[in-house]
Amino acid sequence: MHSDTPHILREFDQAFASLRNEVIAMAGQARLNLERAMQGLLQRDLERCKAAIADDDEVDEAELRIDRIGMETLVRFHPVASDLRLVITSMKCAANLERVSDHATNIAKRARKMLSRSECAEVSFLEPLYALADQQLRDAMSAYTDRNAELGQSLQLRDKDLDKMHKRLIATFTSRLEEGGERAEDYLHLVFVARSLERIGDLAKNIGEDAVFLDQARDIRHEKLNRPVSDEVGAE
Amino acid sequence: MSLLTEAPPRRRPVTPPMTHEAPQTPASGDAAPAGIPAIQIKGVDFSYGDKQVLKDVTLDIPQNQVVAFIGPSGCGKTTLLRCFNRMNDLVPGARVTKGSIIIEGANIADKSIDPVQLRRHVGMVFQKYNPFPRSIYDNVAYGPRTLGEKKKAALDEVVERSLRRAALWDEVKDRLQDMATGLSGGQQQRLCIARTMAVDPEIILMDEPCSALDPIATAHVEDLILGLREHYTIVIVTHNMQQATRVSDSTAFFYLGEMVEYAATRKIFENPSNKRTLDYISGRFG
Repeated sequence: MHSDTPHILREFDQAFASLRNEVIAMAGQARLNLERAMQGLLQRDLERCKAAIADDDEVDEAELRIDRIGMETLVRFHPVASDLRLVITSMKCAANLERVSDHATNIAKRARKMLSRSECAEVSFLEPLYALADQQLRDAMSAYTDRNAELGQSLQLRDKDLDKMHKRLIATFTSRLEEGGERAEDYLHLVFVARSLERIGDLAKNIGEDAVFLDQARDIRHEKLNRPVSDEVGAE
Repeated sequence: MSLLTEAPPRRRPVTPPMTHEAPQTPASGDAAPAGIPAIQIKGVDFSYGDKQVLKDVTLDIPQNQVVAFIGPSGCGKTTLLRCFNRMNDLVPGARVTKGSIIIEGANIADKSIDPVQLRRHVGMVFQKYNPFPRSIYDNVAYGPRTLGEKKKAALDEVVERSLRRAALWDEVKDRLQDMATGLSGGQQQRLCIARTMAVDPEIILMDEPCSALDPIATAHVEDLILGLREHYTIVIVTHNMQQATRVSDSTAFFYLGEMVEYAATRKIFENPSNKRTLDYISGRFG
């Protein structure tokens, strides 16, 4: 449950609005970095790659700001219930977004290396994976901002689709890599880019799980670990 | 029925001195408190003259649990607490107008119940520490002496046991004949708790026991409350919600004479079911 009733202390509401706005702004910057990195790769645009790498610092600084505001909020206001969950979730969300931006940087660096070589047609294979990862990241942030547990929980299943697509791509790239030839280095870069996009899907799923906790105080992380041991053995 | 007896025998064997081991983790479930009820409140209405201050309050307080009553001033939480040992009998015009309060299987409003005996079973610690202007020893021995205990060895044993349970023995054992009023505020409050325990109650009521204490003294009293749960059922009224989260197993939220929500303390402070509870605990009451 969440209350829209204003707090008696105006500074309380200001601090919480500030925390929430910082997370939303950080998410925007992390997504922008990812977009620039992928456009840099797909459209062979070095400037966008450089911008994605340079702007990672802004995301890092945003993470520090969010942690500082979160700590101050905890110390000053001793929030409970949905307010406490907002602080905890915001700080965890910031950590996940920082990792998203790190992966965007990795992609931009791989793209930069690929730009020094002739164009590789298979780069376009990554577009659907990027579209899926980006959509999941957007939905994860919507789940956080709207306190939408249903949307947040849906990311668990959708991440499996992304994993399957990632697996297929890796199989394609590695088989071509094994064939050798002058394109081998490009395929290696594409494997790493695909891996980063898959990890971004995982991070979006984490944010979605935290959004469920924010909305409903339910911790749905690692739910598969609660399956009976016999199931795990059977799966193996 | 034991509440009727003049001087009932002690029901518990003499227990070894309390240690300062870490208290058990409070119950983590969300469900309303379970277990054998020490106090059953059934549909209680209470009025001061024409003014109704409690409305149809029903809850069970389980044995050996700490239950916190929270709510804004005037919500009825202290009134309900004072019902448990009929302290409200002393207020002209104050009365339970409906429902019943059952302690040890007996309706405490029954005419056959002796309020003095009831208060021996249901001790009370007040907001402002109130030791008698006597020695530390005499303060603790006062209750047993009133109940007819004259043997010095027995009194010595009760005084030591009570002061140990109140985590005060090590601080005062060498000055038991000093004036109680010379102790620090926190020590005086713990002495009052020891004095309450000296007559071997089952239930201890605490009405904002730390509101007049500094943070260190408050921590000592809270540590004491957590340890006492092993021996007593404790009901504490507090305005300090952090205190309720620290010391209580269950929490009841009162508002305008109604009990709005009663659940495990963790549930109340992590994810309350009622919006009024959420607004109160999170500081949004307008």
